[in-house]
Amino acid sequence: MALTITCPICGKRNGYEFRYGGEEKGPRPDQKDLTPESWCDYVHMNRCVAGIQQEWWFHRDGCGSWFTIFRDTTTNLEKETPEAKE
Amino acid sequence: MKDIKRYSAVEFKATPLKNQKRGDWDVVLEYHGEGEGPWLVDLSHRTRLDLQSSDLATKKPFGITIPETPCRSVLEKGMLLNRMNRIQTSIYHLDGETIDIPEEKEYTDVTEATIFVAIFGSRVFSVCEKLSNLDFAGENKQTPFLFQGPFSHVPCQIVTLSREAEKSGVVLTCSRGYGKHMIDGILHAGEEFGLTPAGEARFTSWINNL
Repeated sequence: MALTITCPICGKRNGYEFRYGGEEKGPRPDQKDLTPESWCDYVHMNRCVAGIQQEWWFHRDGCGSWFTIFRDTTTNLEKETPEAKE
Repeated sequence: MKDIKRYSAVEFKATPLKNQKRGDWDVVLEYHGEGEGPWLVDLSHRTRLDLQSSDLATKKPFGITIPETPCRSVLEKGMLLNRMNRIQTSIYHLDGETIDIPEEKEYTDVTEATIFVAIFGSRVFSVCEKLSNLDFAGENKQTPFLFQGPFSHVPCQIVTLSREAEKSGVVLTCSRGYGKHMIDGILHAGEEFGLTPAGEARFTSWINNL
């Protein structure tokens, strides 16, 4: 199914104009008490949700903005909020 | 010291009728057999600037107020200002004498990094829709307005200046390296609509009638 993504600058566009930037994982862990294992988890481990997840996208062929959207990974459709229902 | 000569990345297979030496550029004012339009004009010699500042609201390049909303443009005194995002504005010098580039460090001259062409005349949007899925006619938008997106699969800035029948037209800029193939693509797409290369004089006449 064709993915469309809503860029905050350019509006709704074809998904092929964008580059995927990974899951939104919250703020970078505090340097204090940071272990190699917890850093590795933060960088490499993903939740791989079957459902709605917040994720980063980069408007590569457009305005060059980085932003997050909510996407249902089972339907590949953008959602307005995490609770959005069909 | 040798003279500098600047070349546009855009080359047309048409015979120039009138040329003009302008700075380091050799500008074609008119080509043989320009036809009835639509036309494609190389404007790569026209100055383009990038203005980047965290406080754009206080900036007034060339005495012109920058639009507040991204993707809105303003055409005044021969200058086209396009609000790109929160911190960037692109500035195109479309008409009039050579400009002095502001000395502030927020301004970057990108003239030689990009190509710059205008496509105008009737059925210009028919040409454009063969090369991009973006809606340059944008019926619900007030002209001029900016699109940042793919045109012939190349990331471009495209500004619709008018969508009034015969006066319809856009200006387009993209990285210089894509120049030759971008022009080939546009001319090929416009062949069935009679798109022909034209000199700067035709563009000047069009922009002054908007």
